[in-house]
Amino acid sequence: MQKVCLTVNGREVSAEIDERTLLLEFVRDVAGLTGTHNGCLEARCGCCVIEVDGDVVKSCNVLAVQVDGAEVTTIEGLAPQRLAPVDHITTQSLAGMYRPLEAVRGTPDDLHPVQAAFHRCHAVQCGFCTPGMVMVLKDYLEENPEPTRDDVRRAIAGNLCRCTGYQHIVDAAMEAAAELRGDPAPEGAAHGATAAADGG
Amino acid sequence: MRPFTWLAPDTTEEAVALLREHGSGARVIAGGQSLLLAMKERTVGPSHLVSLGGITGLAGVTTEPDGALVVGAATTYAALTRAALRGWHGVLSDVAGDLADRPVRNRGTIGGALCAADPRFDVPAFAVGVDAVLRISGAGGDRTLPAGEFLLGNGLTAIGQDEILTAVVLPPPATWDAVVFEKFRHRVFDAAIVSATCALRRGSGATPAAVRVTVAGATATPVVLAVDAGATGAHAGEVAAASVLPDATDEPTRYRRELVRTLVRRTVDRARTQQGSA
Repeated sequence: MQKVCLTVNGREVSAEIDERTLLLEFVRDVAGLTGTHNGCLEARCGCCVIEVDGDVVKSCNVLAVQVDGAEVTTIEGLAPQRLAPVDHITTQSLAGMYRPLEAVRGTPDDLHPVQAAFHRCHAVQCGFCTPGMVMVLKDYLEENPEPTRDDVRRAIAGNLCRCTGYQHIVDAAMEAAAELRGDPAPEGAAHGATAAADGG
Repeated sequence: MRPFTWLAPDTTEEAVALLREHGSGARVIAGGQSLLLAMKERTVGPSHLVSLGGITGLAGVTTEPDGALVVGAATTYAALTRAALRGWHGVLSDVAGDLADRPVRNRGTIGGALCAADPRFDVPAFAVGVDAVLRISGAGGDRTLPAGEFLLGNGLTAIGQDEILTAVVLPPPATWDAVVFEKFRHRVFDAAIVSATCALRRGSGATPAAVRVTVAGATATPVVLAVDAGATGAHAGEVAAASVLPDATDEPTRYRRELVRTLVRRTVDRARTQQGSA
């Protein structure tokens, strides 16, 4: 057993764990944050991507003991107000969660711009790959504010999505990039307008 | 995964001592991007893992007085991609930035790629291609070894049980006037099926003074070809195809042989063009 202490989304989490515990298992089972998904467990699908000290990693291929003391950000950490636990799901709490698409524009007290763009562009079908996609794209767009559609496809090469065909995910990434650059928002959330002919 | 004991030394000396103490069951872990996959599949089951993560000075890039580039073994691909390297050393940044995927490049290390000695990996191929030298620390002292002598087979290296690879040294910029690396893979995150490196030193006339062509992926270890310095790309490709995979009787091998021919032709042609314009 080994004592590991991580700062997960600003909260200190420490535990005595088996040395074999993967960072993914630490985040899900010890920190209790199940937004990070366990997909393939062999560093292929990218559903488990989280940020460790500012760099995205596939948490299924990192031991928790390897990153002892690190600052970890998971998908839950991108939208602060979502961190308040919902003890009892009611129609009212759900209604509070889902607001009109136009309202979800990625302000600091709302969704992260990448999350908001995913919402607007319908870049989510089953949603299993979404946390990893969002984490990788957030990291990528912070470093590359003006990507081409081809650049975005390369950036998410390590994230597999079996539903969307990636088209809407790339749309969302391009919209989020524009928003992160501070470009004026297109009238009426014109997603799809940029989906030019890159062949799907 | 089989159970193991986690050891996190602060210095290379401590790490070497731990490796010596725990014998053949101990393994070094840097980023763990290859080792952890193997451990999850239980193809390896070390009794002790000695982590390089806590050792300062193993990651990072420095330049020697003679211009040689010393890349710490625990330097990640992502760090190499961001490093501003001059001249042909910059090709290492390009190689490191165009393999696996973004999250994996943040963990995977150059030393790990060499010690994993996977024939399809780009870094070992490039290291042999530019004739890099590896620095190794052990209980018996430090030693250096050319990358070509370090790689012995698929997953096999010349490193001793109680030794640690500490750095990869690329020769000074003046050693080569042009270095070109090419590879082929089906999807961008796949490992290369075949890769080729051409390092070229300019001569007084149009003919280069020296050409070093290396092919990897098709064989268990990278092959350095005996190519005439004046050879054109097409000629070098023919030589490479005939010598790397002489007996291509089945389709997969024929496929690889075509890749060898094409990639060698491209790298030599591109290197000759670059030296002309340099």
